[in-house]
Formats: sequence, C-alpha cells, structure tokens
Amino acid sequence: MARILRTTGITGRTRLLLSVLFLAIGASGCASFKEVTAFASLSGNAAGYQALTRDYVGALERRKQYQPPKFHGELEALTMRREAQRSSLDVLQQTVADYMQGLGSLASGEIRTFDRSLKDLSASLNEATLLDRNEKQAVGALSTLLARSVTALYRQHEMKKLIRDGNQPLQEVMKATRKIIKSGIIPDLRVESAMAGRYYDNFMLAPDNPVEPVAIALGKEAKAEALGRIESRIQGAQRYDAVLEKIAAGHQYLYDNRDMLGNDELGRQFKQHISELRAAYRNLLDVAR
Amino acid sequence: MEKLTADDAFELGNQFRDAAIALRDWRIDNRGSLSRSQWDELDEREITLLNTASSLYTGAIGLILRDSQASLARLQSSVENAKSTIKHIAKFKQALDLASALVLFAGAVTSGNAAGIPAAIVALEDAASAIVNSAGSESS
Repeated sequence: MARILRTTGITGRTRLLLSVLFLAIGASGCASFKEVTAFASLSGNAAGYQALTRDYVGALERRKQYQPPKFHGELEALTMRREAQRSSLDVLQQTVADYMQGLGSLASGEIRTFDRSLKDLSASLNEATLLDRNEKQAVGALSTLLARSVTALYRQHEMKKLIRDGNQPLQEVMKATRKIIKSGIIPDLRVESAMAGRYYDNFMLAPDNPVEPVAIALGKEAKAEALGRIESRIQGAQRYDAVLEKIAAGHQYLYDNRDMLGNDELGRQFKQHISELRAAYRNLLDVAR
Repeated sequence: MEKLTADDAFELGNQFRDAAIALRDWRIDNRGSLSRSQWDELDEREITLLNTASSLYTGAIGLILRDSQASLARLQSSVENAKSTIKHIAKFKQALDLASALVLFAGAVTSGNAAGIPAAIVALEDAASAIVNSAGSESS
C-alpha cells in the first residue's frame, strides 16, 4: 500500500488519510461472497415450486371423476376452502424466494455495474496527460482497490445483519411449509391414491360385473397410470421438502458462522451445503418436468 | 372439549384414510358374499371417510397458515430491509465513485498542479468522512 502511495507521489495528509481508510477496510478488502451468492441464487430458484399449490387446490376437481355425482357438491365446497388458502401458500414460497433474492443481491453487490464506473475512471486516467504511465497504473489500481474494499465492507456488514435478523423467521416459515407438505399435502395425495384405487377396483371386481378379460386388462392399465400420476405428485412434494430442508440447513450454517462471512475458510466449508442443495434441486426438477 | 390442534387434525385425517383403506380391503376380500347394493353402500362409506380425511387436512393446513403469519411478517420485513439496503448501495457507490475521482485528482496533484491541492484534500476528507460515517451509522 505504502509503495503504491509512494509510486503515485501522494504524500502528507492525503497519504495519511488514504492509509487510515485502507487500514479500516483492509480486513474485508478481499472478501469473496461467491458461495453465498451461489447459495442464495439456487435457493431463490428452488424455493418456488408452484406445482405444489396448484396440485393441492386442484386435487378435489381431479377426484370428481372417481366419485358419484352426489359427492361433487362436497368436493366443490372443499375446493373453495383450499382456494382461500392459495395466496397464503404462495406467499410462504414467494417470501423465501424474495428473501434469497435479497441476500443474493447483497452478496453479488452488482460488481459489474461498479466496475463500469471504474472503467470510466481508467479512461479519465488515460486522458490525464500530466501523469506518466506508471503513475496512471498505480492510481488506477488504488482507486479500484479502494472502491471494492469499501463496498465489500458495507455488503459484509449488511449481509450479517440480514442473516442475523432473518434466520429465525426464515426457519419458522420453512418449518411451517415443510409441515404442511409432510403432514398435509402428501397424506392428502395418499387419499387421492386410495380414491383412484377403489374406483378402478370397483370397475374390475364389483359383484355382478361380467368377467371380461380385455376390460380387466384395460382397467389394470388405467389404474396403474392413474396411480403413477399421483405417485409422481407425491415424489414432487417429497423432493421439494428435501430442497427446503437443505435451504434451511444452509441458512442455519450461515447464521451460525455469520462472523466469518467473506472468509475463504467459510466459503470452502459452505460448498458442501451448496452441493447438497444443488443435488436436491436436481432431483426435484427430474420429477417436475 | 378443546379445539383440535393442527397435529390432532392431521392424525385424525390419517386415521380416517387408513380406516377407508381397511374397509376397501375387507370389501374386496369378501366380495363373494356381498350383494351389489351392499358393495355400493360400503363404497360410499369409504368415499365419505376419504373426503373427511381431505377436509381435516385442509383445516389443519389452515391452522398452520394462520400460526405462521407472525414469522412470515417478520421475514417479509427482513426482505424489505434487504431491498432498502440494496438501494443504499447504489448511493454508496456514487460516493465511492467520487472518492475514486478524488484519487485521480490526487494523481494530478503529484504532477505539479499546485492550485488544485487544497481543494483535492478537502474533497477527499469529505468523501472519506461520508464513507466512515455511513458505515458507522449502519453498524450502530
């Protein structure tokens, strides 16, 4: 640092001022938040699984085909109750996605925009004909370092604050969403499976039904297809739950180690969480397609 | 009697669903001794049990959604703070651009432009103070 200042010929109060500023920000000057950026970006994408709410609300309409018309009114009333829950369910997912987007924006810090302004600075430097080549390079390097360091310090501080304040409500929202999935939506899909199964069993096995081998074969095929579709929905919900579990664990890790944000060691350790989240998200996408 | 909790309702839903499945198994195992009307009557009971299970799950999910409102509001508030912080960074960057430009001035100063020296120093002090004050007020 002193060498850069000497090279530029910056002396006296200016030099002292710059040195103090650099000392103040030096600790975080080289901080990298790329793992936090990757985690937040992945979490933001993975947290929004619209099929979950759509399947839950639309379930009763699908089940009409498996029940006599006398039950349809009851199913429609139940659909209305679920419609009333739709926006709340969507907000649960959307809030987690929004939070991760905010965290990701802080972590990435829109560096590209900032580097553009530094390019302008380089252009100005080239026009500064009173400086020689070495001086221009040194002043340019100093400016870039200064700008990036102070931004990193600020971002690091804000990220810590966000993670500290956001962790508890985030964990509670994730816990609530996971409970809805595991204790409500998946068991309800098993109801659908039982409903469809009995419909096709009735078709094939009801007393007085003539035994028609072709009709039985078609019935078995249709039953397998219907149950397969429901099983896919169950798998989607289970894999989404696994994604949420990984997001919650990753954020908890950031919270527990928030004082190490920007530290390379934290970045290395955090990669494992990102890998696990990425694998869980890939599994979800496999059934969501 | 106390109101059902979400956990109670989920558990009851499971029990109704499992009872309907057990009834169906019995109906199929004993189909040889059942008339068509008995078969249909049992089937309708099963449908009622399954729909009741779905209704209980829906009610329990409603209870969880209601209970999670406070956490949701706090999280939304964190999101708002993050957004506001990001806006602040845009302003902060302008200050940094100014600081960078001042370093350029400092470079000009070293080239012998004596008239610009006092103004460059004052401007640099101002810019640095703004940065330090901004960081200080954010951490308090």
